[in-house]
Amino acid sequence: MRSKKKIIITSVICLGMAALAYFAWLFPFYEFTSNDFGTGIEKLMSAEYLYTLTPLFIIIALATTGIILVIFIRKFLAKTDKNRSRAAQVRMGRLKGDSPKQKKSLFMIIRWAAMIIFTFMMIWGGLIFGLKMSSLSIPVLSCPWNTEQMTESSCYYLSHLNELFELPIQNIILFFGSTIAFTLLLGRAICGFLCPMGLIQDITDKIRQKTKIEGIKMNDKMYETLTPIKWCMALIFTGLCFAGGNFCNFCPAVAVSPILAGMSTSLYVSGFLMILVLMGGFFKRRAFCTICPLGTVMGFFHKISLFRVKKDCQSCTECGACYEACPMGIKMIYTEREKTDVTHANCIMCGECVKCCPEDNALSLTFAGKKIYTSSRKKIMSGYEEVRNYYDGKSNS
Amino acid sequence: MMAKATLKERQDKRFINKETQTAAKYLRRLEELSGAPDDIEPFYNALKRIYVDMKSVETENKTIGTYCVMTPPELIYAAGAVPVKLCSGNYTAFSIGDDIAPRDACPLVKAIAGFKQTGLMPVYEDCSMMVIPITCDCKKKIAGMLADKFNTVTLHIPAKRDDIDIEMFTDQLYDLMEKLEDVTGNAVTYESLSEGFRKVGYAQYELSEFIRLKKQMPYLIRGSHAMAILNAASYMPADVWGKALHKVNKSLEKNIAEKKTVTSKKLPRILLTGSPIVFPNIKIPLLIEEMGGIVAGDETCMGERGMWDPAVITDNSFDGMMRALANRSLRPCPCPTFADNSQRIYRLKQLIKENRIQGVIYHVLRGCLVYDFEYKRIEEELGKLDIPVIRLESDYNEEDIEQLRIRIEAFIELIKLKQAPERITTVRKSF
Repeated sequence: MRSKKKIIITSVICLGMAALAYFAWLFPFYEFTSNDFGTGIEKLMSAEYLYTLTPLFIIIALATTGIILVIFIRKFLAKTDKNRSRAAQVRMGRLKGDSPKQKKSLFMIIRWAAMIIFTFMMIWGGLIFGLKMSSLSIPVLSCPWNTEQMTESSCYYLSHLNELFELPIQNIILFFGSTIAFTLLLGRAICGFLCPMGLIQDITDKIRQKTKIEGIKMNDKMYETLTPIKWCMALIFTGLCFAGGNFCNFCPAVAVSPILAGMSTSLYVSGFLMILVLMGGFFKRRAFCTICPLGTVMGFFHKISLFRVKKDCQSCTECGACYEACPMGIKMIYTEREKTDVTHANCIMCGECVKCCPEDNALSLTFAGKKIYTSSRKKIMSGYEEVRNYYDGKSNS
Repeated sequence: MMAKATLKERQDKRFINKETQTAAKYLRRLEELSGAPDDIEPFYNALKRIYVDMKSVETENKTIGTYCVMTPPELIYAAGAVPVKLCSGNYTAFSIGDDIAPRDACPLVKAIAGFKQTGLMPVYEDCSMMVIPITCDCKKKIAGMLADKFNTVTLHIPAKRDDIDIEMFTDQLYDLMEKLEDVTGNAVTYESLSEGFRKVGYAQYELSEFIRLKKQMPYLIRGSHAMAILNAASYMPADVWGKALHKVNKSLEKNIAEKKTVTSKKLPRILLTGSPIVFPNIKIPLLIEEMGGIVAGDETCMGERGMWDPAVITDNSFDGMMRALANRSLRPCPCPTFADNSQRIYRLKQLIKENRIQGVIYHVLRGCLVYDFEYKRIEEELGKLDIPVIRLESDYNEEDIEQLRIRIEAFIELIKLKQAPERITTVRKSF
């Protein structure tokens, strides 16, 4: 009975999503009188730029209001919950002090730097530095409506396959060649290291961590319910063009890159979705990535990409810290006890699991067989080292 | 009426005499064992304070009694109290508890029952509250028994470790938090919880250094001494314990630099696993080392295993920290109370590899069913690795000591036959 209900609800959501994607142009979020894709550095400096940014401001304002509203509702519910009001009030209240943190690792710094630089180049790279290699396509969710971006994103032709086959043959070969080459070379590390959508969600998550606001507790059941939605998204992504729809009106990524590059772009359902992405990314790290259609497509190649997550099953104590840290909810990483390769189709190579693993060498990220990031007890406990120095200083004086 | 009172008094006196004598004897045996690292005295003193001097833990704060490794000490420190592990190894209390608890109950629980009955141990009597995770039937019943004298809280331990179980355990920790607040009068805040994490984290930092050093060079420290250090953690505030262990670590580092080992002979390296070994019931490690073996690793919950796993904060909110505690309490725990505990086998294999173990002694307290159940599987798995295993059943008295001695001696001889006699001189650089 329960599963029947679940199937019905899931299919209704999926069908609703498909319908929304198909009729996306009927729901304008913000329409400019005319879309102007001409841009330049002068435009970025002028007041006109602010005008093109209007939809982005609206999105951010609405998302912030939404987040604050959710927090207030939660606080109100916690107050009225008689069973556990005291603990709830501590949880929801303003939290002072700092929790112990481990020292920043080089890997994380590189990952953040790569994401920021790449996002910057994808949005303004063409404009400011004149860098363009537009014949190469990277499978990344950076909107190709931004014609000034550094290089082409594969997402346009992957979601408009019918248009792809009308292109000259060398373009088709170049498109598939570069897309497949990048997928094989980097795999879903693109999601963790390059994707601008990923950066936005990581930033919202950082804000939440800094403000110590409670997120959504995810569990395996919730991830399970997300799986059919993920597949439905992938289906809409590749199939909508054949039904005569345009995925770009639905895709939340449109609301970022072209607008920031100074192109006045009308937003349809994508504007509404972007609010959800921001809110989701705030309460759950990389919420959109769990249903990202491009990531799903790239996930097909996870078995052969060069980035791998390796596990030393003997060292693992099944403490589950990696699973708790994983933004994609990959459970197999801590339950696996035989295979040394634990690369999952959903893995975005963000390295959080390695960062949180307390056992020496139990988890490591490898690139072409070479270890680039390895878990270590010492790193995990590095936050407590200063406590020792504190006691040392005390005993000396 | 008068006669009765004096009888009680006489009984109490006899109890105190016997109890302090046994504890002092085992402490002496520990001290007589050669090769103790420098600066081990604070740990002996802590054990002496509780069992010989019959005093409570050295702290100004209230103490909270805990059993089993599932009670998060971080939370207790956050409430401004000090946790004391009350799992007992006391022979005298056991003999009293023998009449209270059923025959087949495990001696650890009988000892607790005995202490409750006599009401003479300050470390028990001073507890403002007792937190009892229900890890087996004996613990469940003893929780009920203790409730008519002490303020008790029970924690339900699920049989599985799925996400939903972790969530339920987190809720229980919130309940525990409120009860702790009521008892201590201090509110648990984000700041104080972080402070609790720091205290325990620091102790764990020193513990991981200690274990790292132990792994680095064989025969650096005797297992009985290590066991005494880890047992003392139950009766010392975590920061004090960590500070004392830091000194031991420094002296061990010095010993490594000077290539000083506890012995120049190549003693058979033995791993001790199974039921908890609690002071003063340390006859088994003492026997092993007196018979010419060395306890190179232990996988017992009052030993290295109990404090090994740190709580990893993956979410910076208050709830994230509580969840980290719940996660740490259940998931990495090798307690056989969980239905599927195959991770313990992997853990044993890893310890065998890291410490180059030659034989495993599986300790079972009489009546400790859950540990006894796992013996078969572990024997099979270790048989594949060609590691000899024996199962030693013991009780909390000294009657079985000769029988244990014979079995341990035979086991050590068996390992010695396998190995070539040679002197060890090299220091292992990497591990």
